[in-house]
Amino acid sequence: MSSNPILRTALVWGGVFALVLAVVAGGVGFAVDGSRGLVSGLLGTLIAAFFLGITAGSILFANRFSSSDMFVPIYFGVVMGGWILKFVLFLVAAWILREQPWVDPQILFLSLIVGVIGTLVIDCIVIARSRMPYASDVRLPEYTGTDD
Amino acid sequence: MDSTTLLAEINGNIATVGYGLAAIGPAIGVGIVVGKTIEGVARQPELAGRLQVLMYIGIAFTEALAFIGIATYFIFTN
Repeated sequence: MSSNPILRTALVWGGVFALVLAVVAGGVGFAVDGSRGLVSGLLGTLIAAFFLGITAGSILFANRFSSSDMFVPIYFGVVMGGWILKFVLFLVAAWILREQPWVDPQILFLSLIVGVIGTLVIDCIVIARSRMPYASDVRLPEYTGTDD
Repeated sequence: MDSTTLLAEINGNIATVGYGLAAIGPAIGVGIVVGKTIEGVARQPELAGRLQVLMYIGIAFTEALAFIGIATYFIFTN
């Protein structure tokens, strides 16, 4: 599919942003709450980058089946299934992590919110700068006449 | 204990209700985004790639609302 390069670029730049934010969030967390803050900042950034990356990743994975007759059900099944699974996993992870003594919940969830907003900004920039042909996924009808 | 006190007694955390409210918006949003993408691809199959990218950014925004909704619950119940 013609959208694959753009989604791949969004994933790569999202990863680069997550690395930069991990350093910043880890540093701020360490300054505020020592090693507990460091772990919380890193973990919050990792969760934001991973869970937001699942959307682009699931679209890229589903596009592998673009030649299949069942592409539309497979595509929306994979993307929406990944979406619902992501939220269930996120709720479970948040519930477990909040109780841990080595995690500062406020630093964790604040770095997560910053990560989510930052990844959105990166996605917007990547998509605004992308160039796509207008009619990009044309499949010409095959001639099935009997006169040749 | 009089009946008024008994009726007004609610157990649990009110932030849970907040998460429930926060889930309504993203649910409606992602439903519209995906539904309209299906409609668009059905009308113009050759635009599937472009519509996928637009759907991706739409889903990213609606899921950000849901993530922030869940995260604020955990920040304020600390």
